[in-house]
Amino acid sequence: MLSSNAEKIYWLSRYIERAENTARLVNVNFDLLLDIPHDSVSDFIHLVEITSDLEQFNSILLDEKMFYSSSVSAVKNVVLNFVIYNSDNLGSISYSLEMAKYNSRYLRTMLPKTAWEQFNKLHAEFSLSNKENHNTEVLHQIIRNSKTFFSTISDAMHRDHVFDFIKLGRFIERADMLSRIIEDQILRKDAKIPKYYENLQWMSILKSVNGFESFKKINKGELRRSNVLDFMVKLKEFPRSIIFCINRLIAVTKYLPKSENLKLKLIKIKKQAAKLNEKSTDKQILAILDLLQLSLIDLHIEIEEKFFNRGPV
Amino acid sequence: MYFKLTHFIGIIIAPLELKMNKTFSYQSSIFFDEYIDSKSSPRKGYKRSIDFFHSLSPSERVYYTNLCESSISSMGVTFQLDANELQDRSWPLDLIPRIIASNQWKLIQKGLIQRVKALNYFINDVYNKQVFLEKNPVLKELVLESSNFLPECMGITPKNKVWSNICGTDLIKDDKGKFFVLEDNLRVPSGVAYMLENRNIMKRVIPDLFSSYDVNPIDDYPSQLYKCLSDASFNTKANKKIVVLTPGVFNSAYFEHSYLAQQMGVELVEASDLYVSKSNNVLMKTINGPKKVDVIYRRIDDVFVDPKVWRKDSKLGIPGIYNAWKNKKIAIVNAPGSGVADDKAVYAFVPKMIKFFLQEKPIISQVKTYVCAFKKDLDYVINNIEKLVLKPVNESGGYGILIGPQSSKSELKKYKSKILDNPRNFVAQPLIKLSTSPTLINKKIMPRHLDLRPFILSGNNSFVTQGGLTRVAMKKGSTIVNSSQGGGSKDTWIAD
Repeated sequence: MLSSNAEKIYWLSRYIERAENTARLVNVNFDLLLDIPHDSVSDFIHLVEITSDLEQFNSILLDEKMFYSSSVSAVKNVVLNFVIYNSDNLGSISYSLEMAKYNSRYLRTMLPKTAWEQFNKLHAEFSLSNKENHNTEVLHQIIRNSKTFFSTISDAMHRDHVFDFIKLGRFIERADMLSRIIEDQILRKDAKIPKYYENLQWMSILKSVNGFESFKKINKGELRRSNVLDFMVKLKEFPRSIIFCINRLIAVTKYLPKSENLKLKLIKIKKQAAKLNEKSTDKQILAILDLLQLSLIDLHIEIEEKFFNRGPV
Repeated sequence: MYFKLTHFIGIIIAPLELKMNKTFSYQSSIFFDEYIDSKSSPRKGYKRSIDFFHSLSPSERVYYTNLCESSISSMGVTFQLDANELQDRSWPLDLIPRIIASNQWKLIQKGLIQRVKALNYFINDVYNKQVFLEKNPVLKELVLESSNFLPECMGITPKNKVWSNICGTDLIKDDKGKFFVLEDNLRVPSGVAYMLENRNIMKRVIPDLFSSYDVNPIDDYPSQLYKCLSDASFNTKANKKIVVLTPGVFNSAYFEHSYLAQQMGVELVEASDLYVSKSNNVLMKTINGPKKVDVIYRRIDDVFVDPKVWRKDSKLGIPGIYNAWKNKKIAIVNAPGSGVADDKAVYAFVPKMIKFFLQEKPIISQVKTYVCAFKKDLDYVINNIEKLVLKPVNESGGYGILIGPQSSKSELKKYKSKILDNPRNFVAQPLIKLSTSPTLINKKIMPRHLDLRPFILSGNNSFVTQGGLTRVAMKKGSTIVNSSQGGGSKDTWIAD
């Protein structure tokens, strides 16, 4: 497989997964705000903080002061537009999909035809979606289309290196985004949300990863922070837990050439994540997540050096 | 059972609708029409197709057109108008097929193989002994001065003496319905992917009409191309490493590059994926380290292939690849330098080449061409300029062309002096009245001009596509069929 193609397929996969997870993140916040009756303006701004760059956001506002004192629905529209549609915003869904589209142009020869058509559909439907009318349908559409894209890949694709790099990109991105979703909820606790709503928060985060039903099956009625964290970080059977992602990555290394070092790094990450337990304080949890994110960046650099930059020897 | 019954009713209803639509206004004109004769009755073999499209109500026409468009976009068949913008356009396909009788096509195939064989012998002669050139001193001068002649290719003989392994020859029909060769594209002809995808779309959209004809399949083109590329290598091992070299996603034909690579199951590469080793091997950068390449199907112009030898500013080429090619370590397809034969002045000599190299008579006619470098031709052109189409020898893409019958007296006068200043730079041809075919324009069926580009492969054996890409000018009276200028296309059916 060409080094340059490995790089493009890896990024295509990462950007689609990123678009999907950003959609999930926006969606869960959107959902939550319907339930929490308090200062929602700052909650929407919080959405900007966790997905994008607040400074950049402020720079697009005509009048900052006036904006922050305007009505919730006005703020909501500006924020959602920024997070979903503003392709100058590197954290927006639009940017991720444009980058995915850019990479996909090179990859027609590598993807199954059905997957290629599904990606075109994903991109086209997003481009055609109504930018004025902010309901969550566009988010659901992205999640749905991205899922269909990846299931088409699993269903129709020849198991070769292309498949391996799709997985590599997808699960690194997912682990990273999961850690951010959790981090977001922990940090939120600092904000002035009444204790009463805390469970609601953890419930919607579970929903955002399609994990509510399986969580219930395992934990029965009991919904506590520690339970949810354990589920989302350490449950190896659940496809949107961090450990699940790391295990999948370890499994991929088996098929990649000269990947011993990569595997060692992954095993180390797994050990770090396993440190999380019932007694972990917020500070400890944040430190673990922080380390995880840094390790994932390190992992990416390793992949880049090993596979993407293969020049003359 | 019920299903069959409804189906049956459908068949009965169709002829009734046909009668109701008899008020159809498609009439014959001074041009040869593919579908109807001079009395406006359908030609042999065209009746079923014309009946089918006549019987469609306006809403059905919209339905089929939409279905066609949505298939095209979901299949991702695109091209780009502007090289600087990544704006994909859906490929324009007209649903009304062009149909050619298979016995007529067999003769055309023979004629094309004959022509391309002679052209390849000619190129090989140019870069080696120059026997043909010695016999035609005017041509020799024209060729050696041409920018398409690459002196660095002297003394090189590619495998099988084939320089242009993939040729796209443009055919037209005149007002009598006779095929003529308009030009030979011996460098990097494009369009074949659209030919293949047109067929897939037609099968999806109008399967019933399609199956009512016995259409020769075209889908073995990629495997024929693979074989042809494989044949070009001097390497004797069984599985040769073949790649398609593209200038990148910004190129207007990128869709085709990636399509062909995928259909052949080979890598699509850009220059940065390749490099030449000290031992003159061409290597490809992969996740497993460097891999040796045997054949490059280049989709960039030859002068961009090696910045060390030709265009120094080329970022699309691979430094050092010329030496690898010269040393037979890599096959470059089409070979650099093959463009020397698709010069407009060289075209005039093709019938002579066929006689000289093959001792045969040309099977397909070509348009009478006056080479102004010859005194006799020059006199004729100057005296009859208002009847002729004038073309500069060194320009392509329609630049600098003067259409005599459509030009003013002062324009003709100006052009005359341009010719007299440098006669060698010009050729002239009579104006051909291009044939027309019914075409769907805004729900109406209108006559539009068309041409045909078959593809000829030369490896150990020769191969010609069943039909080719039919291009159609979508504007009334226009003869410009290029997709970049609003031209469309049709599926071409070779059928009994």
